[in-house]
Amino acid sequence: MQFSSSLLENAVNEFARLPGIGKKTALRLVLHLLKQDTNDVSQFSEVIAKMRSEIKFCQRCFNVADGDICSICANSMRRQEMICVVENIRDVIAIESTQQYSGTYHVLGGVISPLDGIGPDQLNIESLANRVQKERTEELIFALNPTIQGDTTIYYIQKKLAAASGEQSQNIRITTIARGIAFGGELEYADEMTLARSLQNRLPVENYVSR
Amino acid sequence: MLRLYSISLVQFKNYQNRSIQFNERIVGISGPNGIGKTNLLDAIHYLCFTKSYFTRIDGNNISQGYDGFRLEGQFEVWDKPEKAICILRETGKKEFSVNDQLYEKFSRHIGHYPCVIIAPDDIQIITGGSEERRRFMDTLLSQLDAVYLQQLINYNKVLQQRNSLLRSFADTGSKDLSLLSVLDEQLVKPGQGIFERRKEFLIAFLPRAKQFYIEIAKSTSRRPASSTAENINLFYTSELLQASFAELLNLNQSKDIMLMRTTSGVHKDELEFTLNEQPFKNMASQGQRKSLLFALKLAEMEALKNEKGFAPILMLDDVFEKLDEERIVNLLQTVCVENDGQVFITDTSSERLVQHLTPLKKPFQLIDLTN
Repeated sequence: MQFSSSLLENAVNEFARLPGIGKKTALRLVLHLLKQDTNDVSQFSEVIAKMRSEIKFCQRCFNVADGDICSICANSMRRQEMICVVENIRDVIAIESTQQYSGTYHVLGGVISPLDGIGPDQLNIESLANRVQKERTEELIFALNPTIQGDTTIYYIQKKLAAASGEQSQNIRITTIARGIAFGGELEYADEMTLARSLQNRLPVENYVSR
Repeated sequence: MLRLYSISLVQFKNYQNRSIQFNERIVGISGPNGIGKTNLLDAIHYLCFTKSYFTRIDGNNISQGYDGFRLEGQFEVWDKPEKAICILRETGKKEFSVNDQLYEKFSRHIGHYPCVIIAPDDIQIITGGSEERRRFMDTLLSQLDAVYLQQLINYNKVLQQRNSLLRSFADTGSKDLSLLSVLDEQLVKPGQGIFERRKEFLIAFLPRAKQFYIEIAKSTSRRPASSTAENINLFYTSELLQASFAELLNLNQSKDIMLMRTTSGVHKDELEFTLNEQPFKNMASQGQRKSLLFALKLAEMEALKNEKGFAPILMLDDVFEKLDEERIVNLLQTVCVENDGQVFITDTSSERLVQHLTPLKKPFQLIDLTN
């Protein structure tokens, strides 16, 4: 791509570094900005700069926050004794959109994968263990991806909690989200593993609410 | 019943664009060296296994100077037509579909079109390292049992993680033994499953392979009966025969940490062959090695047929080389006459193919790739 202005070129290159954005899309976005009012573009860049420099991570659950504690943790209406363990902030947003969960979260920041150089120390696992002990957590819900690394992470945390506080951990209910046939999915196209698991963990009809 | 009626190859190896019809159950493919006989068989292998028999890298199969390739096969399974398409995109992404339904996981296709190939390099199964024999077992069992394939995939993933963790112990100096024990538990489940399945399967399989060997050896030897009593034996050996996998991992933990890899498990399993109580590799002649290879492949074909209810596609690549007349006749009798599955046979000489296929008194098709 040939540019007559190095200012334009620099802007395109910066946009192209974003995930899912190629050179052509980057050029389209930059040319769009070029057509906008100078003030609008300044505001745009300020919002982004401010977002990055001022955003904080909740000291309790590591979700994004405006202050030291995120709005979910600060909300007294939410059940503080219930923690949903997720891999990243996107998962928090996904679960929040369901409007079905009223507890708090704990964002691990990834899953254990020695192959990628990610061990328990790189994740917010220690803080979770401390939290569980301090806050008298009653239920821990694991909402991690159904991968081998996700399973490794669940088993590891479970073991760690059991070892950390023998008598208290007895009282914690540890669960994982259900896995099975997707809504709107068809049985014949479900893979055998999913189908087998759905059969193992089948539900009584009275608990089955189709919406 | 399984048949392949036609295949079209676009930018695959030396085929820029070519369609080939298969009208008969027995198909002879001829042409000089380098014309693409083996490439044609590999294209069929692609449609059965979603990958090449000869290379792990899909890109190696693209015609020189092009990006991407496309293979399409018209199959028939139990009288129902099926269209299988394998596309390697310019981006390097591979797509595989049957009747325009794309697979999300290629592993789900394995075993849908069962197939057995015998190629010259397969002699490695007899003479090569133990990984060749495990590959042979795994290819066969994966076609028979989708659960086995899934366990194998999981086992290899966890094994990689475990080995990485062991290496990181050495790099960082800190040993997170609780994480190691978590990975051990995750490894034990598929590992023990793979072992049980191999053991159960080989109990029936190995004696069948031995029987095939004896038949091949008996009919081909001109020596007096007494000296032909070759005493061959086939065994499955695994550390898991002695102790449970969980015990083994426990026992070898400090050794694993020191060597920075997992020293026990089904990835160390072996098929051992002996001839008169000696290792087969060292004792056997070229002919005997080849006989054992055919015996294993014929037993594989039989196992697939028993499980699927129809014969697998059989591909014989250049098998006439180094085989005496009697052996060729015998082999063709077994795979073309006593077997009702589709057979593809390659040879450099079309005369030799005609000469060997005609006495079988079965209709056959001859494809000369030079035309």
